[in-house]
Amino acid sequence: MLDMSLLKIENLHAEVGGKEILKGIDLEIGAGEIHAIMGPNGSGKSTLSYVLAGRDGYEVTEGSVTFQGRNLLELEADERANEGIFLAFQYPVEIPGVAGMTFLRESYNAKLRYRGEPEADAMRFLKMVRAKAKTLNMNDDMLKRPVNVGFSGGEKKRNEILQMAVLEPSLAILDETDSGLDIDALKLVSEGVNALRSEGRSMLIITHYQRLLNHIQPDYVHVLAHGRIQRSGGKELALELEANGYADFAEEAA
Amino acid sequence: MPDGLAKTPPFADLATAARKRAGHAWLADFNARAGARYAEAGWPHARTESWKYTNLNALAAGTFALAAAEKASVPEDRVPNIEGLRIVLVNGMLAPDLSDLDRLPDGVSLTRLSNAGMNEREMLERLLAEHTSTDGLPLAALNAATLSDVVVLDIAAGAALEAPLHIISLGATEKAAFAPRLLIRAGADSYADVVESHVSAGAEVYFSNLVTQVSVARGAQLGHYRLQNEAGGAFHIALTSAEVAEGAVYDNFVLSLGARLARNEIRGEITGARVEYRINGAYMASGSQHLDNTTFIDHAAAGSRSREVYKGVLAGSSRGVFQGKILVRPDAQQTDGYQMNRAMLMSDRAEIDSKPELEIYADDVRCSHGATVGELEADHLFYLQARGIDRDTARRLLVSAYIDEAIDEIQAEPVREAMKRLASGWLARNLSGDAA
Repeated sequence: MLDMSLLKIENLHAEVGGKEILKGIDLEIGAGEIHAIMGPNGSGKSTLSYVLAGRDGYEVTEGSVTFQGRNLLELEADERANEGIFLAFQYPVEIPGVAGMTFLRESYNAKLRYRGEPEADAMRFLKMVRAKAKTLNMNDDMLKRPVNVGFSGGEKKRNEILQMAVLEPSLAILDETDSGLDIDALKLVSEGVNALRSEGRSMLIITHYQRLLNHIQPDYVHVLAHGRIQRSGGKELALELEANGYADFAEEAA
Repeated sequence: MPDGLAKTPPFADLATAARKRAGHAWLADFNARAGARYAEAGWPHARTESWKYTNLNALAAGTFALAAAEKASVPEDRVPNIEGLRIVLVNGMLAPDLSDLDRLPDGVSLTRLSNAGMNEREMLERLLAEHTSTDGLPLAALNAATLSDVVVLDIAAGAALEAPLHIISLGATEKAAFAPRLLIRAGADSYADVVESHVSAGAEVYFSNLVTQVSVARGAQLGHYRLQNEAGGAFHIALTSAEVAEGAVYDNFVLSLGARLARNEIRGEITGARVEYRINGAYMASGSQHLDNTTFIDHAAAGSRSREVYKGVLAGSSRGVFQGKILVRPDAQQTDGYQMNRAMLMSDRAEIDSKPELEIYADDVRCSHGATVGELEADHLFYLQARGIDRDTARRLLVSAYIDEAIDEIQAEPVREAMKRLASGWLARNLSGDAA
């Protein structure tokens, strides 16, 4: 199992602004597995996603994270992305003035350069993106517009999934991807994610609610509270949480 | 020195030298009268309101000689790459050998002081006096006191130019001072784009003291675009005064990249209805550069619009200044004015002073203004990095998008694209690694 794991987190402690948020996380994700992390607000779910993606200001004070056998923590955010980690943001950022297509091409070419491969042919790349956008119900206009500017919540989330489809990560971290989505948008986004499931792609789904897991079925569910994984189990654990809430974990405060 | 005693302002010796050198009595007299006005106006000091944020001590302390004619060539990599006929000035004087004087299109005529006849001189004198009031503008008086050439571009009524006219002013002599004087006159219902490029042809330290007088007649459309890309040790002081008549469109843009210290001052007067008056710009500074944009729009007639968008990128320990005044006179009802200055600081040593000023005496107007100062958003940078784009490239993409938004104000497409390339070249040179 050790050799098989794509991501291995051991005793991870991290702080933000001097406050310890993660207090000893242990988690192992194998190739092709889908893990869900559920937990109440303030439990450290988003912190975990940012620590993995390499955001400034999230300081690891103890523990290790190994990704495909490499020490992930010594890499910059862009290097982690190029190694195959993709964070689908809870709140995708609007970037005025940078056309969506330019952004996608820069990202894609960055990955190719990182691997020492030649940059993509512009026309072929455009066709590839258009085809993927179509399955997410995104038209050319959305690709031409500045990244996420004027997009609805649902459009922003679809745009995240499009980026994921183009960049083909080996580990996708979906941070509260269901937040702010109505039921139709949730279905569309979930279908997009499910289409990207494959043996070579693992996912870490971070969510407060169980409803997303009705659409994207996880292999494992973990409960994160007070900066630690409190329980792990199969997908039935999500149903149990849905029924009982997080009250059971509130008392276990450190 | 106690107050009340006249103090000879710096560069008075240049005015004396110019007068002595003048090839004909008329010019000597013109220089002398301007020299007297300059002595009276005095050098701007810290208490001079319009110079409050731009200290000219370093300029005043410099030693400059009045520039003479010089051989030079255009540095092609420092000027916008646009198709169009060229009018080249070297050290403030028209250089016929570098200019396309014999190929000027129909409807364009060029008059210059250096070979003007008696009648033309009279016209020039009248034009020069016409709309630059030198009250409170000592450097404009110094320009008049030290100029040795004047170039007047006349665009005939009804003429429509296909390609832009490109005026290139070269600083070609080390430690030289020169005073280009340009007049651009767009006749009624004409349509033209004029580009000015101010660059160095080899010299590093010099003082270019420019005055451009613009008049846009009824119904005309004039695009007037300037690149200030002087050498790193240069001082560039520029005054543009533009008078725009009924139904005319004036589209002005200044991209400031170069010089140790540069001042871009624009004074505009709207004298008729349905005028569209656009003065926009972008400034990009690094090292210890000081770039000043000072504008004044005088709505002297009812029913016109003005728009002003300036954006800056300040790296290193550079300093930016923006002063924007809009005056709406009592009769200028239904005025629509918009002003915005945004500055992005790329380092904690960079600084911007921003001073919007609205003076409104009419009651039925719409005027808005805003000023913002910011840094690159950490959220934006992280978003790009999380998609594999390295930090330097991410910074360049974001700053380029930000500054292009100002450059997009340029209505002439080829000029717009050429200016964007120059801005993006600046970013590549100045925003890599720790350069910022």
